[in-house]
Amino acid sequence: MKVHILEDDAGVNESLRTLLQAFGYTVTSHENAASFFLAHPPEADELVIVDLGLPDIDGASVIRWVESLSRPPRVIVISGQPQRLIDRALKDVPNITVLRKPLSGESLMPLLT
Amino acid sequence: MASIQIPTVSEARLLSVLDTAVDGLIVMDDQGRVLVFNKACETLFGYMALDVVGHNIKMLMPPEFSDNHDRYISHYLETGERRIIGIGREVRGKHKDGTVFPLELSVGEAHTPDGRQFIGVLRDLRSRKAVEQRLNVLQGQLVNMARVQAIDEMGAAIAHELNQPLTAVMLYLQAVNRKMGSLDEPEKLGPVLDILVRALREAERASGIIQRMRHSVERREPERQSSDLNALLDEALELTLIGHNIDSLEVERDLDPALSSVDVDPIQIQQVLTNLIRNALEAVRKSAVPKIRLASRLDESNAYVDIEDSGPGIPLEVAASLFKAFASTKRSGLGLGLMISRSIAQNHGGDLTVDAGGNGRGATFTLRLPLIVMQNISDD
Repeated sequence: MKVHILEDDAGVNESLRTLLQAFGYTVTSHENAASFFLAHPPEADELVIVDLGLPDIDGASVIRWVESLSRPPRVIVISGQPQRLIDRALKDVPNITVLRKPLSGESLMPLLT
Repeated sequence: MASIQIPTVSEARLLSVLDTAVDGLIVMDDQGRVLVFNKACETLFGYMALDVVGHNIKMLMPPEFSDNHDRYISHYLETGERRIIGIGREVRGKHKDGTVFPLELSVGEAHTPDGRQFIGVLRDLRSRKAVEQRLNVLQGQLVNMARVQAIDEMGAAIAHELNQPLTAVMLYLQAVNRKMGSLDEPEKLGPVLDILVRALREAERASGIIQRMRHSVERREPERQSSDLNALLDEALELTLIGHNIDSLEVERDLDPALSSVDVDPIQIQQVLTNLIRNALEAVRKSAVPKIRLASRLDESNAYVDIEDSGPGIPLEVAASLFKAFASTKRSGLGLGLMISRSIAQNHGGDLTVDAGGNGRGATFTLRLPLIVMQNISDD
C-alpha cells in the first residue's frame, strides 16, 4: 500500500517515512501542500497522513480536497496543536481520525492495516 | 498677642455657611472644647452638634489619639512647634457607635478676642480607601492571573516545540526496532533490541510528560459573563496609570456606550487591556507629546477596542515576531505578554492585531471580540 505524507517538520516527515518503509509501505512525502497537489493524486486504496499545521494551506482544505476526489483514499490527521484548535480547524470535516503528537508507532500502525 | 481677626460675619451666617459645607468643620478653643460642629460632622460622627459643643474634642477620637490630645495642645501652646497645624495629615475618628474610620484632617489657627481657636477641616477617607482597596485587590488578581497564564503559555510553547523532535525520535526507534526484527541471527541482536526497547520507553515517558503539561493548559477556558467593556477599559487605564507617571500625558477616550454588555471573561480581558495600555505608555514615554487614544466600537458581529499611542511605531523586523514567545525587546520580562494577550483573544473566538505605524505614526493594537459566542466543541 502507498502512503502519502504531508508534514512540514523535516524530522517528523523523515522519521515517519523511515518507519512506514520499514513496515513495507511505499511512501511519498511532501513538506507543503503545493507539492502534494502537484504530485499524482492519491488512489482509493491508499492512505494520506496530513499534518494540520502546514505552512501554505490549512489542513482542513487539504482534507476537503482529498474527500472531493471521485475515489477518495483514507485520511489520518496528525497534529501537535491544542485540542481546541484541532476541533475548530476540523469542524467542517467530521469523522476524521486524529492522532496527536507526540506520535508513536503503537498508535499509528494499527490504523494502517 | 498678635491677632488675626476671624472674618466679621454674623454668627448665624457663619453657621449656615458651615452647615452647607461638604467637609466636616470643627472649631475648638485652646482647652480642646468644641465650639462649632457642622452638619457634615453630624453625619460623619453620628453625634448632634448639641451633644458635642462644649465638650472636649477627645470624644471624637479613638484612644490612640484621645489619650494624648491634651498634651499635644499644651505642647504646641508652650513651644509653638507645629505637628499638624498648617500641615494636615491622615488620622482616625471615632463614630458615636464606636466605629473607627479614616479621616484627612487639616488644622488652621485663628487668634480671636476670645483667645486662640483651632479650626479643623475633616474629609471622610472611607470611600477613597474603598476604591484603593478594590484596586489593590484587582491588581493582585491580575498579577496572579498573568502569572498562571504565563506559566501555561510557556508550558504550551515548550510542549509544542518538543513535540516534533520527540515524535521523530520515537518513530525512528520504532523503525530500527522493526528493521532489526527482520534481520538474520536475531540471537546476536538480543541485547541491542533490549536497549532499544528501553530507549523507546524513555521517549514515551517524555511524551507522557508533555501530554500532561498540555492537558493542564487546555482545561483553562474563558469564564464568560456579561461585562461592560468600557468599564473594563477605564479600570485597566486606572490600574496602569498607578505605576506610570508620565508628565503631560494626554489620554483620549472615545467609547461607544453600546459596549456595556459583551460576553467575555472579564479578568482575562482586563489582563489583555492592561497589557496593551502598559505597552502604549512605554511607547510614549519618550514622546514629545505623549498621548494615547482608547476607542471602543461595534459592527454587526464584533466588538473592537483600539489602543493607539503617539510613540515611534514598531520597526518592521520587530513587528513580524511581536506575538511570538520570547520575542521581547524589553530588558525585563519574557515577552510573553502579547503572545498571551493574543491567545486570550483567540480563546474568546476573536483576535489581537496590530497596525505597526512608523514614519511619525504610533502603533495601534486592535482587540476584536465576537458578539455572538459560538459554542465551543468540548475537549476530550
